[in-house]
Amino acid sequence: MISSKLVTIVTFLYLFCTVLYFNYLAFRSKKLGNLAVMATWISLLLHTAAILWRWVESYQMGFGHAPLSNMYESLVFFSWCIALIYLLVELRLKSRIIGVFAMPLSFLSIAYAALAPGVSDRIDPLIPALQSNWLHAHVITCFLSYASFAISFGISIMYLIKARKKEGVHPETGLADFFPSLESLDNLIYKTIAVGFPLLTIGIITGAAWANYAWGAYWSWDPKETWSLITWFVYAVFLHARLTREWRGKRTAILSLIGFGAVIFTYFGVNYVLSGLHSYAS
Amino acid sequence: MLALGEAQRQFFLGEALSSKSEKDLFSSLGEVLSSLRLAIALLIVLAVASIFGTVIPQNAAPEEYLRVYKLTTYKILHILGFLDMYRSWWFVFLLTLLCLNLITCSIGRFRLTLRLLSQSRQRLEDAEWKSLSPKKNLSLKGLPAEWLPSVRKALAHHFPSAKALDHSGTHHLFAEKGKLSRFGVYFVHLGVLVILGGALIGFFYGFRGNINIAEGETTNRAILRNGQQIPFPGFQMRLEKFTVAFYPNGAPKEFKSVVTILEGTQTVLNEPIRVNHPLTYKGLSFYQSSYGVAGVEKAVLLVKEKATGKEHLIDARVGARTELSGGNYSFILTRFHPDVQGMGPAFQIMSFEPNRPHENFMLFQKHPEMEDRRPGPYRFLIREIVPKYYSGLQVNKDPGVLLVWVGCALMIIGFYLTFFLSHRRLWIRLSGKGKETLLEIAGSSHRNRTGFEQEFEKMVHSLKEKLSGQPKDSKERERQS
Repeated sequence: MISSKLVTIVTFLYLFCTVLYFNYLAFRSKKLGNLAVMATWISLLLHTAAILWRWVESYQMGFGHAPLSNMYESLVFFSWCIALIYLLVELRLKSRIIGVFAMPLSFLSIAYAALAPGVSDRIDPLIPALQSNWLHAHVITCFLSYASFAISFGISIMYLIKARKKEGVHPETGLADFFPSLESLDNLIYKTIAVGFPLLTIGIITGAAWANYAWGAYWSWDPKETWSLITWFVYAVFLHARLTREWRGKRTAILSLIGFGAVIFTYFGVNYVLSGLHSYAS
Repeated sequence: MLALGEAQRQFFLGEALSSKSEKDLFSSLGEVLSSLRLAIALLIVLAVASIFGTVIPQNAAPEEYLRVYKLTTYKILHILGFLDMYRSWWFVFLLTLLCLNLITCSIGRFRLTLRLLSQSRQRLEDAEWKSLSPKKNLSLKGLPAEWLPSVRKALAHHFPSAKALDHSGTHHLFAEKGKLSRFGVYFVHLGVLVILGGALIGFFYGFRGNINIAEGETTNRAILRNGQQIPFPGFQMRLEKFTVAFYPNGAPKEFKSVVTILEGTQTVLNEPIRVNHPLTYKGLSFYQSSYGVAGVEKAVLLVKEKATGKEHLIDARVGARTELSGGNYSFILTRFHPDVQGMGPAFQIMSFEPNRPHENFMLFQKHPEMEDRRPGPYRFLIREIVPKYYSGLQVNKDPGVLLVWVGCALMIIGFYLTFFLSHRRLWIRLSGKGKETLLEIAGSSHRNRTGFEQEFEKMVHSLKEKLSGQPKDSKERERQS
C-alpha cells in the first residue's frame, strides 16, 4: 500500500528531524534550528498526506472509514498530533528547543507503528461496535489530549534538567542554559495541560456517549475507562495543586511526568496488560 | 489579583480565612472538609484505589478468583470490597467525601469570587497603580476634559462600556470584560456533581437486564442479572427476524434484529435494532448484544421422484406437512437433531402414503448416500438448513442519563470559560499638565498574561492612531452625531 510506504518515509523523516534538533541543541546554530522546524513542517505535511491516502485506500477496498480504528492507525495519528501540537507551540513561542523533546516522541510513536512486528498495517473493515460517528470525535479528542500531555511531559523533563542544574547537581552541563527560563517552562507545562485536560475530558465524555449507544452503559468501569479516569485524576491534582502556589515548579513537573505515565498506560498498558471492551483496539 | 491574593492563597490552603481565633471541633472539621488539600488528597486516593480495581478482576465468579488467589487472600479481598470495589462502601464514601469537599470548597470560593469582582474599583491609588502590569503613558495636546469623549469612543472598540469618574481634576475610566471566566470553575464543579447525581438516579431508579427472543417469538419482560424479572410497561416485543452479515474476510459486518412493538394486539412500531443503533420505547432502551441459534427455521430439500427422475425444490418447515404428487404422498419434518452420533445434523421425517402405514426415517445432511438404500417413491436431499436465530438484547432503563449529559455539557462550558477566556480589566487616567494631557493606561488579566500583554500592546497602538492630532471639540462631536 502506498500509504504504508509513506508512513515509513515519514518515520525516517521524523528521525532526521530528531537528529536535526539534537544538533541544534549541540551547536546552537540558528540555521540548524530553522532547518529543523522546516523539516518538521514538511514531514507533517507528508504525514497528513499519508493519513489521507490511507483513508482513500480504505474506500478503494470497498469499506471506507477514517484511519482511526486500530493500533497502527492510532499510533500514526498520535505521532501526527504530537508533531502538530509541538509546531503550534513553536509558532507561538518561537522556542525551537522544545523540539528536542517533542520530536523523539513523535518519531517513537510512528516508528512503533511502522516497525513493530505485532502492529499490522492492514486496513480492516469496521466491526459493528466501531461503526459509529462517535469514533471520530472520541479518537481525535483523546489523541490531541495525549499529544498535549506528551509535549507537557517533554517540557517537564526540560524543567527538571534545568532545575537540577540550578541546584548545582550537574553544574558542568551547559545544555540547560539554552532552555527557556524556569518560570516560562513552568508556565508552558501548565498551558499544555490546560489544553490537554479539557480535551481529555471531552474524549472521556464522547467515549461515554458512544458506549451508551453501543452497550447501553455510559460508564462500566472497564480498565480502559478506569485508566482514563485515573489519568484525569492525576491532571486534576496537577491543576488544583498549582492553585495553592505551594506546588510549583519541580513538584508539578513531576506530577506532569506521572500524568504522562498514566496516559501511556491507558494507551498501551491496558491493551497489553489488562483486558476489557477496548481489546479490539490492539 | 491585588490584595486578595494572600486571602485566596490562605483559602486554598484550607487555612482560616475568618478572624475567629478560637476553633471548636466542628469549625476545624469544616475547614478540613472545605480545603483544597483534602481535594488533592481525595483525588490521589481515588486514583490509586482505581488502579486496584483494574488489576483485580471485578465481579468475577469465586472459582475464577480461587484460581489466582489463595483462599485467605480471596476472603480478605472479598471482605475489603476489592472484588466489587467501585460499589464498595469505602469507595462510595470517598466519592461522597469528594462531593462534600467540592460543594463546600466551591461555595467558599464562590463568595470570594463575588467579593473580588465587586471590589474592582474604578479609581486606583498610586500604589495599586504601580503594581499593575502592563502599563503605558501617552502625551496629548489639549485638556483632559476635551479628550475624554474621544478616548471613550476609541476605547469602546476594545473594551465596551467603560465607566468614567472625576476625581479632583483627573478623569478616571474603568472597563472590564471576560468576568464570566472567573465562574468557569464553578460550572466544572457543578458539572461533576450533576453527573454523579445522574449516576445516583440511574443506580436507584434504573436497571439493566437482558432478553433472549427467538425469531417469531414475543416477550414482555426483562431478566436482570440476579434473576429478577421486570415486565415491560404495557407493551410486548416480537422478534421478526435476526440477521448477521459478514465481510469477505469473515469479520462481522452487521447484527440486526427487526422487532415489532405490540400493545395488546396493536402493532405500534416495527424497527431494526443494530449495534450502535438502539431502540428506545417508553423509557426502555434495547441494545443488540448477542445472538445464537435457537433451532431450525426450515430446510430446503431437493426431492427426486424415483420413477420419473423429476426434481422438486421444497421449503419445508419443522412440524408443517408438505404434499407431493397431488396429495398422494406427504411428509412432515418432525424433529431436528443437531448431531446424531457424530454423523452431523439430521431431520427426523414421517411420510404418509394412502393405504399404507406411515414411515419414519432419518435424513442426514452429510450422508446423502444413506438415502439410496431407503425404499419409497422419493429420494430426499438436504440442500440447506436455515437456522432459527435468537437475538440477545440488553434492556436498560436509566432515568439519570439525561442529567449525566447535562453535567458533561456544564463541564465543557466551564472548561471553555476557565481555560480559553480571561477576566481582563483596564484603567485609564487623564490628567492635565499645563496645556497637555497625560493619558495613563494600565491593565490586568487574571490568566494568560502574555496573551493580554500582546492585546494591550495592540490596543495602545490603535488608541495612539485614533487619538493623533487635536481633540475633537465637544460641540463638533454633537453636530457629527
